[in-house]
Amino acid sequence: MIKPLSIVVLVPLAVVLCFALSALPTPAERKELGIASKHIRAHGVNDTGAMNLVAAVLFDYRGFDTLGEVTVIFSAVASVGLLFSVRRLPNTSEGLSTITKRSIGALVPFIFLVGFYIVMHGHLSPGGGFQGGVIWGSLLILLGIVYGSRYAEGVVAKESRTVMESLGALAFLGLGCVGLFAGGGFLANLAAGYPRGTPGAITSAGVIPLLSLMVGIKIGAGLAAIFYAMVNEGMEVDNDA
Amino acid sequence: MEAALTNSLLIFLLISALFAVHFRDHLSAVLALSVFSTSMSVLFAVYQAPDVALAEAVVGAGLGTALFLIAVSRTRSKRSD
Repeated sequence: MIKPLSIVVLVPLAVVLCFALSALPTPAERKELGIASKHIRAHGVNDTGAMNLVAAVLFDYRGFDTLGEVTVIFSAVASVGLLFSVRRLPNTSEGLSTITKRSIGALVPFIFLVGFYIVMHGHLSPGGGFQGGVIWGSLLILLGIVYGSRYAEGVVAKESRTVMESLGALAFLGLGCVGLFAGGGFLANLAAGYPRGTPGAITSAGVIPLLSLMVGIKIGAGLAAIFYAMVNEGMEVDNDA
Repeated sequence: MEAALTNSLLIFLLISALFAVHFRDHLSAVLALSVFSTSMSVLFAVYQAPDVALAEAVVGAGLGTALFLIAVSRTRSKRSD
């Protein structure tokens, strides 16, 4: 019933994709950069003070787009919280075995440190607020799985997750507005008077590390909030059964 | 050498994607998807996009798998009622 239809849809799609693939530029043609790439490659470090040009684009040139991404995650967390907020029962999960708890317990500080490193070195090396924030969120999820959601709730409570998420978003907006008041435009970096520092040093690139930290806190708390909303909903189902 | 690595990764990507679609069991499909994300992230690193590779590794292989697993386990417990 469905098979002929799917063939009718998928075969033309495959043909189109093959044509698109053959139209892609070869590595030799790709050597030629676009206008924006050329400019960023030539002036990026000077303009922003960030060694990692991807971070320079994310938090400086296109900081407004990052604000949009952050807002998308914010609304996703809000909708998941709304969907799963009906009739929530207390957590009862006991977690995994003692061996798992002890060995993961030894790893937890290091995982946190890796996340912190990736967030704070976003302007120097690959990574940044989003990636490090996801590591923080995964750490909270790991705590919930290994130690049981009641213990994890004691480490970072639901209220503080919500507060951290909202504060991260508000601080991002606030740091952007500083640029507005300093006469440099919304989310301006060096134009707003943030110090550039020496490119390559940890305290460089003006507002980029701060924005990165705020995004990290926001993303970590938000993703953990999504996970716990789903887990708590599941507890309710288990208790009903 | 690099071409061989890239090609084997691409083939692996295709195989894991096919398995992710093919598996009837949701748990196996999620794990195949996680393998897909991991090889994708290595591929990004080979193509000199370390930022994207890092994002793919933490989101695709780590967080996405965790969220999918919790969703699978919850829907399963509901279905067995």
